[in-house]
Amino acid sequence: MSDSRNGSPGPATGMGHHPTGDGPLLEARDIVQEFVVRDYGGVKSGVVHAVSGVSFEIWPGETLGIVGETGSGKSTLARSLLQAPRPKSGSVVFAGTDLVTLRGRRLLRARRQLQMVFQDPFSSLDPKWRVAELVAEPLAAYQVGDRAARRHRVSEVLELVGLPPAEYAHRRPRELSGGQCQRVAIARALALSPALIVCDEAVSSLDVLVQAQVLNLFERLRAELGLSYLFIAHDLALVKQVSDRVAVMYLGKLCEVGPADSIYSGPLHPYTLALLDSIPSPDPEVPRSAVGGTIRGEPPSPVNPPSGCRFRTRCPRADERCATEEPRLRVLGDGHAVACHFPLEAGPPPANGQAPVRVPLPAATPTEGRPGEAASTG
Amino acid sequence: MSAALDRPARAGAGVGGGALLDVRDLRVRFHQGGTSVLAVNGVSFTAWPGRTLAIVGESGSGKTVTCRAVMGLLPPSAEVAGAASFDGTELLGLADRQLRRHRGADLAMVFQDPARSLNPTMRVGTQVTEAIRSHLPLGRREARERAVELMAMVRIPLPGRRFSDYPHQFSGGMRQRLMIAIALACHPRLLIADEATTSLDVTTQAQIMELLLDLQAELGMGLILISHDLGLAASYTDDVAVMYAGGIVEQAPTRRLFGHVRMPYTKALLDAVPRLERQAHSPLPVVGGQPASAKADKAGCSFAPRCPSARDRCHTDAPPLAEQAPGHRWACWFPCEDGGHA
Amino acid sequence: MAAPLPDVLLPPGAPVPAVQPRRHRRSWAQDPEIIVPAAVLALIVGACFLWPLIFPLPPPVGGSVLDSGLPPFSPGHFLGTDPVGNDIFSRILYGGRVSIEVGLAVTLIGLVIGGTLGSVAGYLGGSVDSVLMRALDVLIAFPALVLAVAIAEGLGPSELHVIWALSFFSVPAFARIARSGTLSLHGRTFMLAARLSGTPGRRILLRHVAPNIAPQLVTFGLLGMGVVIILEGALSFLGLGIPDPAPSWGNMIALGQGTLSVQPELVLIPSLFLFTMVLSLNLLGDGLRARWGSQ
Repeated sequence: MSDSRNGSPGPATGMGHHPTGDGPLLEARDIVQEFVVRDYGGVKSGVVHAVSGVSFEIWPGETLGIVGETGSGKSTLARSLLQAPRPKSGSVVFAGTDLVTLRGRRLLRARRQLQMVFQDPFSSLDPKWRVAELVAEPLAAYQVGDRAARRHRVSEVLELVGLPPAEYAHRRPRELSGGQCQRVAIARALALSPALIVCDEAVSSLDVLVQAQVLNLFERLRAELGLSYLFIAHDLALVKQVSDRVAVMYLGKLCEVGPADSIYSGPLHPYTLALLDSIPSPDPEVPRSAVGGTIRGEPPSPVNPPSGCRFRTRCPRADERCATEEPRLRVLGDGHAVACHFPLEAGPPPANGQAPVRVPLPAATPTEGRPGEAASTG
Repeated sequence: MSAALDRPARAGAGVGGGALLDVRDLRVRFHQGGTSVLAVNGVSFTAWPGRTLAIVGESGSGKTVTCRAVMGLLPPSAEVAGAASFDGTELLGLADRQLRRHRGADLAMVFQDPARSLNPTMRVGTQVTEAIRSHLPLGRREARERAVELMAMVRIPLPGRRFSDYPHQFSGGMRQRLMIAIALACHPRLLIADEATTSLDVTTQAQIMELLLDLQAELGMGLILISHDLGLAASYTDDVAVMYAGGIVEQAPTRRLFGHVRMPYTKALLDAVPRLERQAHSPLPVVGGQPASAKADKAGCSFAPRCPSARDRCHTDAPPLAEQAPGHRWACWFPCEDGGHA
Repeated sequence: MAAPLPDVLLPPGAPVPAVQPRRHRRSWAQDPEIIVPAAVLALIVGACFLWPLIFPLPPPVGGSVLDSGLPPFSPGHFLGTDPVGNDIFSRILYGGRVSIEVGLAVTLIGLVIGGTLGSVAGYLGGSVDSVLMRALDVLIAFPALVLAVAIAEGLGPSELHVIWALSFFSVPAFARIARSGTLSLHGRTFMLAARLSGTPGRRILLRHVAPNIAPQLVTFGLLGMGVVIILEGALSFLGLGIPDPAPSWGNMIALGQGTLSVQPELVLIPSLFLFTMVLSLNLLGDGLRARWGSQ
C-alpha cells in the first residue's frame, strides 16, 4: 500500500516481514504535538512545536527505528502515540482503532497491546515496589485472571527476560543493576502479550556490554513472540542494528524514511549524511570526515523553527527555495522517502563493509545564518 | 584528516618535550559505612604535551576516580596512595591551597554536565573572568578582553554580546564550549575532559571534539579524554588505556590497540558496540554478568568470572600489566590471537 | 558482587552503575541517631500513660493545703508540691498526657487530612489544585496565635478546642508538603508507566504516591509535633488552653511564674520535660530523615 500521495512509503520490501495481509499494525497520520511555554505568572510566551505533522506506518513483525537528536521530538512522538498526552491533532490507528478518538476505559482496552519501555531503568520502576508487583501491575489494572493466574504469568514473563523468578521476584529496584531493571521494565511490558512495544531510548543509559545483552534480548523476543518495535534512539548505528526501516527526525519533522541498509549506504537527506559522518567509528583506519563541511551551527529552538525546511539554517545545500517552500516527503527509491528539495544522489555501494565514500556535495550557495546572528564557524 | 591521528608530539611550554603528567601505581580507597572499597588499584599512565590519551571504561571501572584523585577533587575520606607528578612536582598529598595553584594554571578539567558546572545565577562572562583572575593579576577590563578572546577561541558566535548572557540562554553545546573556555582561561598545559561530550548530540559532539583537537594543536596542550565511548577513543586519540574494575587492563597507542586487540575485555567491548557495517538483527556477541565495580578483594583476574577465554589460572593468579609488544601492555594470561578486531 | 562506589563521584547521566549503592549496612534498630531519641520518647510517653496505672500516686488535683510548698525529695512527694498542695510529679505525668495527646492528635489530623488534600491537589493539578491551595493559603494567612486565641475564646478553653485550633495550621502545612512531594514524583517515569499500565488514579495515589511521600511526611510530622506541643504550652500559658486546675505543662509554667523566686522548680521541671520531649522529637525526625533521604 504505497501511499506516495501522503508521502509515506509502503511496507518494507525484501525484509522478510510481510504483513499478514490486514494492513499496518500502527498507522500514524499527521501527528502534531505542541506545548505552551509560560513565563512566570502564567503568561503564554511561546509554543514549542515538538512534533509537526509526522506520518508513518509499522507493519506486523517489523521494527521501525526513529533517530533524532535533542529537540527532534522523537520522545514526544512516542508518548503521543500512546496518548500520554493526546496529540493536538492527527490520528493513531492501532489494530484498526483510532486511539485519538477514545477516552477512559475504551482507550485502555484499545491500547492494551501497545506498551512502552523507557530510558531510565531506575526511574521507570517504583522504588517501593517489588519486582513481582511491578510486573503484575498491568495485569491487575486490566483485571486479568485471578491471583494465581497472575502469579503464573509474572513468572512466565520473568523467565522470558532472563530473570529467574525464584531469585528476582521479591527484590526491589535498588537491589538490581541498570540492566536488570530494564529487563523488569521489559517484563512488565510483555505481561499483557503486546503486539507493539515502543522503546524510548531503552538502552541509552546502559553500559556497553549490558546494552548488548539487552539488545539481544529484544531480538530474541522479536523472534520468539513475533513482536513489532518502534525503536527510538539518538545513535544511528544502534538504530540500524535493530531496525528494518529507519526514520530520521529533525525538529519535529521527518527528514527521511526507508529501509535501514538503504539509509546507511545511500542517505538522501543532508542531515542524515551529517549524522552518519558524526559517528566516530571504533576503527581508527576509517578516515574521520571533516564534520565542519557537512553541518554548521546549533539546532534552532523548537519554539521558533525556521520557515520552509527546518534544516536549512545548518544545511550546506540550502537555497532560496528552502526558505519559502517546505519540502514534502516523497518516495525516491525502493520504499525510501526523503523530504528535501535537493536530496543527495545515491553514491556507489560501500566496499568491504567500510564507511562508504561520500559523493562530494555540489557547491552550496553561501547561506546566511539566522537573522541577527553571524554564521558560526563551529 | 586521517593523518591528524598521527600528529607528531609537540613540546609544550614544559621541560623540553618531557612528560606532562606521570601517574605511577595510583591507588584510591574509600571508606564507607564500615566497609572500604578499593576503587583504583595500581594505575599508571603518562600524558605528553601535544598528544591525546583516552582512558576508556564502563561505569565502575575507576576512570573518573583516577583523574579526580590527580586533581585533588576527592572527598577527604578517600585514601590516596601512589604518585602523580606534574612536570616533576608531586601532586598527591599536596594541601588544597597548593593544589589550587596548579589547578587551572597547569591542569584543568572539563566535566560532563555543563548545566550543573556553570552557575545559573551568574553571567557567563563573569564566570570566565573569575577563572582568569584567580591565577593572573589582570584588571577587570583586561580580564574582560581576555575572556572575550577565549570565548571567540572556542567559537562562540558574537562573544562580545554574549558575555553578559546567563547560562540558560545557551544550548548544551555552547555551554560545553563555555566550560572549555573557563578551563583554558589560564592556558593550562594539560586538559582533562571527563565524559565531556557524553550528554551532547552526536553532531555537537563531533564539533566539540574538533574544537578540542584544534585547540590542542594551537596551544600544544596535552589532552586526556575519559569516556565509555570506544568510537570516540578510536577516532580522536593517540594513546588508549582501557580500565576495568579499578585497573588498567590494556594500554597502547590507539592504532596499535584497535588493530591488535589482546585483552578479551577490550575485544568484548569492541564486539558489543553496534556498528553501521553490521547486519541488522544479527545478535551481538555478548559477555554475561554485570561490570565489576572496583576490585573485589579476591584473587585472580577481575574479568575472569565473565571472560569467555578464562581458564583455571585466571581465577587464582591476577595477571600483571606487562609490556608484551612494543608500546603495547596488557594484563592477561591468555590474550586474543593477534588477528585484529571484530 | 564487588562493593559499589560512593555515588558522589558518578557524573549525572553516566551509564548506570552495576549495583545501586546500599548506604546502610546497619539496620535502623542499631542506628544511635534513631534509637536514643526514640528510647527517650518511649520513656516519657510510657511514664505519662502507664506509671499512674501501676504505681500509686497522689492525685494531680485536690491536694491538701497542709502539704503546700514542699521541696523535691520530700517523703511521699518525689518532686515536691505546689502552693496548693498538689503533687508535682503527678501533675507532670498527667500534664504530659495532655501535651502528648494534643501533639499526636493535631499531627495525625494534619497528616491524614492535609496529606490527602495535598497529594490529590498535586496529582490532579489544574483547577482542583488552584482552588484547594488558595483555600489553604487563606488559613495560613491568619496570624497563628491570634486565630488560636480567637477560637479558644469563642469556644471556651478545653483540650478538644485546642486540638481544633491547632489543626487549622497543621492541615495546610502537611498539605503543602504532600503537594510538593507529589509534584516532584510527577517527573518520575514510573508514574507515567503506572498510568499507561492502566492503573486508576485512586490506586496510583494510594500505592505509588503515598509510600513515596510518606518519609517526608513522617519526618515533617515528628518535627511538627514538637512545635504543636510548644504551641499548646503557649495557649495554656495564656489561659486559653487547658483550664485550671487540670494540669498541662504549659499552664504549670504559667502558674509557677508567680512563685518563681521562691519555688523555681515549679517552672523549671515542666520546662525541662517540655524541652526534652521536643528535642527528642527533633532528633528522631532528623535521624529518620538522614536515613530515608539517602535512599
